[in-house]
Order: sequence, then C-alpha cells, then structure tokens
Amino acid sequence: MSATASLLTERQNWLFQRLRWRLLNNSCRQFFASSRIRLVSIILCSLMVAGAVGGASWEGFSLLAVNRIPFAGGIIGILFDFLFLSLSVMLFFSGGIIIYGSLFSSSETAFLLSMPARADRIFAYKFQTATAFSSWAFILLGCPILFAYGLVYSVSWYFYLVLPVVLLGFVLLPGSLGSIACLLLVNLLPQRRKQALTVFAVLFLVFIGWRAAVIAMAARDSLNSGNRDSLQNLFAQFEFARSPFAPSHWMTQSLQAAARGDPQSVTLPVALIWSNGLFAYLLAAVSARYLYRRGYNRIATGTELRKRYGGHWLDKTAMSALRFLDKPTRLLFVKDFRTFRRDPVQWAQILIFSGLVLLYILNSRQFYREDFPERFRQGISLMNLAAMAMLMCAFMGRFIYPMISLEGKKFWVLGLLPISRDRLIWGKFFFAASGAIVIAEVMTLISDLILAMQPVAIVIHVVTIAVLALGLSGLSVGLGAWLANFRETDPSKIAVGMGGTLNLVAGLLFLVLTIGLMAGPYHIILMFRDEVPEKFIPAIIGGILLGLALGFCAVTIPIRVGIRTLRTMEF
Amino acid sequence: MIELSNVSKRYGTKVAVEDLNLQIQPGELFAFLGPNGAGKTTTIKMICGLLFPTSGTIRVGGLDMRTQGDQARLLISYLPDVPYLYEKLTGREFLQFIADMYGLDRATALQKMDEVIAQFELDDFVDDLTERYSHGMRQRTVFTSALLHNPKVLIVDEPTVGLDPASVRKLKNILLDQVRTGTTVFLSTHSLDIVQELATRIGIIHRGRLIGCGSLESLRTQASLDGSLEEVFLKLTDETVEDTQAVTQT
Repeated sequence: MSATASLLTERQNWLFQRLRWRLLNNSCRQFFASSRIRLVSIILCSLMVAGAVGGASWEGFSLLAVNRIPFAGGIIGILFDFLFLSLSVMLFFSGGIIIYGSLFSSSETAFLLSMPARADRIFAYKFQTATAFSSWAFILLGCPILFAYGLVYSVSWYFYLVLPVVLLGFVLLPGSLGSIACLLLVNLLPQRRKQALTVFAVLFLVFIGWRAAVIAMAARDSLNSGNRDSLQNLFAQFEFARSPFAPSHWMTQSLQAAARGDPQSVTLPVALIWSNGLFAYLLAAVSARYLYRRGYNRIATGTELRKRYGGHWLDKTAMSALRFLDKPTRLLFVKDFRTFRRDPVQWAQILIFSGLVLLYILNSRQFYREDFPERFRQGISLMNLAAMAMLMCAFMGRFIYPMISLEGKKFWVLGLLPISRDRLIWGKFFFAASGAIVIAEVMTLISDLILAMQPVAIVIHVVTIAVLALGLSGLSVGLGAWLANFRETDPSKIAVGMGGTLNLVAGLLFLVLTIGLMAGPYHIILMFRDEVPEKFIPAIIGGILLGLALGFCAVTIPIRVGIRTLRTMEF
Repeated sequence: MIELSNVSKRYGTKVAVEDLNLQIQPGELFAFLGPNGAGKTTTIKMICGLLFPTSGTIRVGGLDMRTQGDQARLLISYLPDVPYLYEKLTGREFLQFIADMYGLDRATALQKMDEVIAQFELDDFVDDLTERYSHGMRQRTVFTSALLHNPKVLIVDEPTVGLDPASVRKLKNILLDQVRTGTTVFLSTHSLDIVQELATRIGIIHRGRLIGCGSLESLRTQASLDGSLEEVFLKLTDETVEDTQAVTQT
C-alpha cells in the first residue's frame, strides 16, 4: 500500500467517529426541537419499565436479605450467572442479526464500499452502532436489577464505579462473536441458503430440546425427592454457566467482589472481561478485513438475478379465509403476508422461537404429576399462558411494529392508492391478529390438554389469548404508525429503537394487566382451594369483563392514534 | 485507465456479464449503452470494486480491483443511479466527509468546496439537512461531492434523471471539462442524445455481451445504417435478439 493510502486509512477511524457524532448531534437537535411530547413519553415509559424491574428485583433481594436465607450470596451468584448467560445469548443473536442488516443490506454500506474506505473500518463503524442498538434493552433492564442488588445489600461505593466498566466490556464479547458468526455464515453458507438454514434451525431445536429435557428431568427429580443430591444434580445442569471460563461468571465474580469492596478480587475478572472482549473485537475486525467485501459480493450475487415468484396456495387460502373483510383490506393483507413469507429471516425466527416455546410446553408436563398438589398444575398452566403472551409480545415488537416504517420511501405507493389510509392500518392489524391468534390459540390448547386442565380454564385461556392477540396487534400497529421511522430500513433497528422499546413496554404492561385480570384470579383461587367458591365467581367474571374492556381500549386507542397520524402524513 | 480482461459475472446460474473486454484511455468519455437488464450496472459495480468478477480481471489506473481495491478507489468517483446521502447531515457536512475520506487537507478541502458549491449553485440549500432536498438538489449535491477530489476516473450511472434542462446542460459542460483535464469518464445512460453529443467512444452491451464498441461512425458501419444513434442502437440490439433466436431454434 502506498504511503498516502496508508495515511488515509489510518485517518478513517477518526473520520467515522466524527461522522457518527455529527449524525447524532443533528438528529438530537432535530428531535428535541420537533417532538418533545414523544421524547417525554418515551423517557417516562423507559423510567416506568426500569422502575418496575428495579422494584421487582428490590423485593426479591429483600426477601433473601430479610429472611436471612442461608447461602444467599451463592443463590445471588447463580442468579447473576444465569442473568448474564441469557444476556450473552441475547446479545450474540441480536448483535449478529443487526450487523448482518447493517453490513449487507443497507444502502449506506454500499455507498461506503464504493469509496476508499477500508472494510475493517466500515465494520468497526457499523459494529459500534449494532452493539449500541443490541445492548439498549440490556442496559434498560439489567441496570435496575443490579442497582436494586446494590441498594438492598448496601454495597460499597466501589460497586457503582465498577458497574459501567464491566457492563461496557461485557457487551463487546457476545457482540463480536455474533459478528464473526455472521461474517462466517455469509461467506461459508452454501448457495442453497434456505435449505442450509432449515437444517441449522432443526439441529438447533433438537439440541435445545435435548437440553430442556435433561434439565426438566433433573428439576422433576429435585421436586419429587427434595433431597440435597437431586438439588445438586439440578444445579449441575447449569454448571457451564458457572465455569471459570464463562464470561457470565466473570461478570458475577467482578460484581460480587466489588459489592464486598474487595478491589483486588475485582481486577482479574475485569481484566478477563475486557481482554477477551477486545480480543474478540480484534478478531472480528480482522475477519471483516478479509471477509466483508467477499461476503458482500456473495450476498449480492449468490442467488439468481431474477427469481420467478408466482401465486401461492397460502395466498389463495388467506384470500378465501378472509372473505368477511372488504377486498382492498384483503389485498393489503395478502401483500403483507407475501412479503413476510418471502423473507426467511422473519419466519425462521418465528419458527425457532415458537418451536422453543412448544418444547417448553411439552416438557412442562414433566413438572406435573398426578400426586402433586393441584396448585402446581394451576401455577404451571398460568406460567404457560404468560409464556405464550410474552412470545406474542416479542413477535409483535419485532415483526409487526416495524411494518409501517418499512413501507419507507415506498409509502407514496400506498398513499396514492384509491383507498382510505385507515384501511392500511386495519389491513396490518388483521394480518398481525390473525397470525397471532392461530399460533397462540393452538399452542395454548396443546398446553391445556397436556396438563388436563378443566374446561372452564380452557375457555378462560382461549378468551384471554384472543384478547391478548388483538390488543398486542392493536398496540404494535397503532404505535408503529404513530412513531413511524421511514428513514430506517433495518427492521431489527426499528424494533430496538426508542419507539420499539416504548411499544415493548406498553405490550408488557398490557399483558401483565390482562393476564392478571382475566386468568390470574381463577388460577390463584384454585391454588388455595379445591374448587372456586360461588362468592368469587362475580370477581372472576368481573376480571374477565375488565380484561375485555382493556383489550378493546388496546385496539381502538392506538389504532385511532395511528390512523390520525397516517391521515395527516405527507410523503 | 480502465481495463477489463475476459470479465464474466454470474448471479447463481444466470450470466449477467460474459467475457467482457474493454480498454478505456485517460481523457476518454466512454458511453456504455444497453437495454434494461443488459449488465451495465453489474459492470459498473465491478469496476468500482463493489462486486467481484466470477472470472477475469479488472484494473483501474493499473491497480487490480480485487487485490488493490482500496488504493484503486482513491482514483475513482462513482455516482450510482440512486445516489446515497446521509439524511441527517447538511450538504456541506456531507461534502466535508467526502473530502476527508479522500484525504484532502483542510485548506484545500475548504477552497475546493467553495468552488464546487458555487459551480453547482448549491449556496441556497447547502447548509440544510439533506433530508429536505428535492431529487434534483440531491443529484447536484452528489455530483458536487464526486468532483471534490479531482478523480482520475468518473463513473456515472444515469446522471440526468430528475435534473432540469439547465442542470443537464451544466452537467454536459462539466463532463466535457473533466475530459479536457484528463479524467476518464465512464457514462452509463439511456439518454442517447447526450451520448451522441459527448461520447468519444460508445460501447453497447446486450444480454451480458458487448455487441458493439467504437465511435458512432464505426457503429453505423457495423449496423450498416446511416442513421441516428437511436436507430443504430435499436438495430444492433434487435439483430442480437434475432441472432440469439436463430441459434436457439437451430
């Protein structure tokens, strides 16, 4: 490389930092000047979530502290290990997915690649953005838990000093590994990607299923016998999270040492977190230097130039099944459905996570036996319902909320159609609600039948899931239109942005309230009584009616706000 | 300045460009014509190093695009048919970013920026965020940025879309000025009148193959037609279709 070229590439790091700063600065200035109400609502909602998570954690830690439970430090250590392990997995996948979108399907990177920008510099620039996006929820949800721990145990001031240092170092490792996995997949995956991804998803499900079955067996043995050995066996199933080589364990070690005010014991795990994180980042940057342009070329030209798509029986079935809707709404529905099914990234994620929840539901039978008290069955059933609701909430946030934003600069096509803009919203609402109702009702019925629930419980669950599916769809579609971001083309970034987080928070609040009102009273009563006493029946019915009213509000209010925004939208 | 040797490019099993050989000299305005889907944009993307040829080599300024791409791109300015601008930067900030990317020192960058801003008459809007720009304003800003670092090779894909007649006239003059100063211009367009007026040499690509290359006169001779470029172009591309059909039938 010539001296000039070498000098230029050295300056690129600084150049990209300045670009980021300018973009951020201009966006913030514009945002503060034009959308104060939106900003205040987002901050308030974020504070509410952080407060709720912090409050729940405070209660949990207080329980351990006040009751002087033996080995509380050990239990907290295990909880922290799981927390950081699950966050690592989440950051690995979300980092990998976001970096894929940023590097391979964004018009900005095509622009940068046509300039003398070095591949690893572009990667570094996009990696920082991807990491910030993927760890946004981690900070919002993780920090209140750790602050609650610090406050309950009156930890040393040192803890609060170490906290940001380890958190920052921690996000580097899974994010870098996710990026390396993304680069390798793009470069090494066979040309027949759909088939390869299906094989990968099936293998992944089989592995997770096997692990879940082993853990469920250990948990059942532990619950049955209640002796120390079986409990030890259950803990042994999670030993990998406590391994001295596990980054999640380094996090736990460093935070617990900091909480004790033991700076010497903090040094090693913090050094391990940072050195491994930086090494993984370096490895990712070097991989990008050699693989990024090659991968870009492969993604751009790996498939047929023009692929023929025809009508599909699924589209025709959807058209026939939705005869109760008017034709324009049905056509809009089928348009969204086509877009969805032709994007394997979207349906593969739904397939994997639905498969995981199904495995969990099937395995949940392991926790319940005839000789167990009734309250176990009621508790597991309620938990399964909550798991279904969480799954729907996550799907709505990830796939439905970004839908209006993704119309992006093509919005004029829809905007100029000879149909009212209200129909655009209703079309998306029916698309979201119908998919969610079908999947969630089937899985809930499977769960109830496996647990041999009473017919009344099944009816309550079916109605609750329908209300949740409709309400969550209304929230995601309505807020998606209200907070539409037509400039972003990456759905994962839209989903984890400020508006997406607000939608997630609203969805979580809605599902907690709905389940609490509609299904909670029935199950809680049966946890303590053999049957529902007559005096409680009006309360159960009242809860269901309140839930229905809440569902009605969750559909109509956001949809109305969304429609109002779309009606006045210029494009 | 630009040299393509036996370049082929496949998308899966489909051939987008087949055995393309081209040599374009410094100071030449080479017009690249072809029907939709003929392989023009693929060729351009390969010359910029965005895509790699399946076989063959591409050299720009004597540098291999595959192995010395970063250095070669310092010589190139590429204006795609759908230009990219950072929506949250002002036009001036965008120009500054480009100047920095190509290593212009501060004083030169500022002087050059003032020059091109005046030349393209961007003063009225250059300090607004680019998200507020009309299509024509975006085109002018991107064109300005492309000339900022005095490229040796200017690759332009459909530059006249969305420009008013005065801007098109200005664009033609600027392209000619660039050629006069020794810049190689590789122009891909469907505006045959511009090509007829400006091009030193014309290449016609159809279904991935270069079916004609040379001055307008030599293309006329090849087509056995003494007409306009439009007539020559249509005749040559029609003939290719007929030839292909004949080969398929036999």
